[in-house]
Amino acid sequence: MTAHFSPRLVLPPWRAMRITVIAELTQPSRYVPQLTMLVTQLALTWWLWRALYAKVTESAGLNVSQATSYALLGVLFLQFKSVDRSSNGDAMDQLMLDGTIAYWFTRPLPARRWYLIRMCGDLGYGGAWALLGYVVCRAIGAIAGPPTWAAGGAALATLALGLVITYYLQAIVDLMCFWSTINDSAVMAVQLASSLLSGAFAPLWFFPGWFQRADGFLPFESTLNTPLSLYVGRLPVSALGTQLAIQAAWCAALAVFTWWLWRRACARVTILGG
Amino acid sequence: MSTGTIMAEGLTKVFRIPARRPGFGGALKDLVKPVLVPKVAVDDINLRVEVGELLALLGPNGAGKSTTIKMLCGILTPTSGRVEVNGIVPHADRTANARQIGAVFGQRSQLWRDLTARQSLEVLRDMYGLRDSDYRERMKEINRILELEEFWDQRSRQLSLGQRVRCDLAAALLHDPPVVFLDEPTIGMDVVVKEQVREFLRDQVNRRGRTVLLTTHDMTEVARLAERVALIDHGQLVYDGATAGLRDLAGVTWEAHVTVETVPVAIDVPGLALTGSDGTRLTFAPLPAAQGAGAVLTPRHAIRRLIEYLPVTDIQVEEPDLEDVVRQAFRTGR
Repeated sequence: MTAHFSPRLVLPPWRAMRITVIAELTQPSRYVPQLTMLVTQLALTWWLWRALYAKVTESAGLNVSQATSYALLGVLFLQFKSVDRSSNGDAMDQLMLDGTIAYWFTRPLPARRWYLIRMCGDLGYGGAWALLGYVVCRAIGAIAGPPTWAAGGAALATLALGLVITYYLQAIVDLMCFWSTINDSAVMAVQLASSLLSGAFAPLWFFPGWFQRADGFLPFESTLNTPLSLYVGRLPVSALGTQLAIQAAWCAALAVFTWWLWRRACARVTILGG
Repeated sequence: MSTGTIMAEGLTKVFRIPARRPGFGGALKDLVKPVLVPKVAVDDINLRVEVGELLALLGPNGAGKSTTIKMLCGILTPTSGRVEVNGIVPHADRTANARQIGAVFGQRSQLWRDLTARQSLEVLRDMYGLRDSDYRERMKEINRILELEEFWDQRSRQLSLGQRVRCDLAAALLHDPPVVFLDEPTIGMDVVVKEQVREFLRDQVNRRGRTVLLTTHDMTEVARLAERVALIDHGQLVYDGATAGLRDLAGVTWEAHVTVETVPVAIDVPGLALTGSDGTRLTFAPLPAAQGAGAVLTPRHAIRRLIEYLPVTDIQVEEPDLEDVVRQAFRTGR
């Protein structure tokens, strides 16, 4: 009674990324509000930054086009994390409370790989919204293009590593559930910290010097401020090597930490309610 | 150890549960220096289930059944003891173990709420790396008894409990595992669906030769499916043997209700004890072997003897139901 397994065992599990897409796109009650919020946020952000620059041509080293583009891209970046799993009972704390986390350990995929696949689905779905928003904003001239192709490439490279850092930060918050069952306070704290300290609320160049220096010791800046600053030309392309090194260091440190957390979590998993 | 065998030796699980201290000060102390109290959920359990056998694991709520099954599935790591399923240590090699087992936790679904049942099963197909032809064949076989096609294009969140559990059973057996763990699979179901699930399980054990470990509170299910039961109470195994043998442990036996023309002055039937009388209606139970003549009487022999010794007009033999037996067995075990 042995099942026949396909020799192509690596790719099929990754098809599970479609869970997010199916769950989101088959329910207008999910994507209509998301679209409405995105359009509203983009419009308000554009008006706000245009108004702020009404009487100045440059501030914090950014002109109106750079500042507006940075802020709008910040809004679009937040779309990467826009999937709310709690609406379909699939958030980590819900899995812990329901006890359905048990199934993560009875399937032929390590829990951490399953988590990665699902998160890639979430980030991919959110990224598609971000890309759509970017294309529309570029088409109507709300977001300026990068000053050079090199700057655009540098921004893309650092965005990729920024997303890796974002993934690890989210994983750490989710893994807390193995110890505390619920993580909603931590989620809120990390969401606030990551939005504020990454530059999603406002470009970090407008914050005081001490704030920027302190922020440099945290991973959040690398997720958003670095790629956007390269995109708008606030950071020169020559800074790419340094920025990539910083991001790579954060990726490595967070990867080691989450690997250790997964090991501990898998060893101590407890299923609530018998 | 051959494929399809479950073995546990000295299996023990101790949880360390934080003891909450009262008041705000207590809460602060708990935060800084939590006090962890050991709670023994499973205590030194030895168990072996052979290939193609169905074992029912019984016990009251909180007895340790689910913890045992989760250790056998590889979800929980035992505190001590040895466990092997299909020759694999489940918690040490969860991935290899997962290919050899199927699991259903009755109150928990592994389907994704916003996906249709079919889409959920396809995700699992991909996860197990099954060929399309194998998948279709398996689904056809499962569908034959569980009749999934009526509702497999509905979203899981819209399924009834019975429909949902049938899909979960399909999910657990999709990859054709030799060993299946079922933790209260029929909880909350109506009798029709329960019977359908029982038929499915019978088929899986008798025809497919799967090894099944089942926990349930439904004694009808045990009576119809399991020839062997294991009783767990307070984390300890208090009985492991034939379902029929439970009666010996419990000391619960059959009773004969006899109606007589006239009640004799002295009622003395060898091998039987008078346990009740209500006018001309008398109740007898077999004497234990030590007190009676020779072996314990069977109901058939008792009827003969009652007719021989008493002016009988009517006899009814009442066998105790399994629920009474298990209840009494727990009392005896404690």
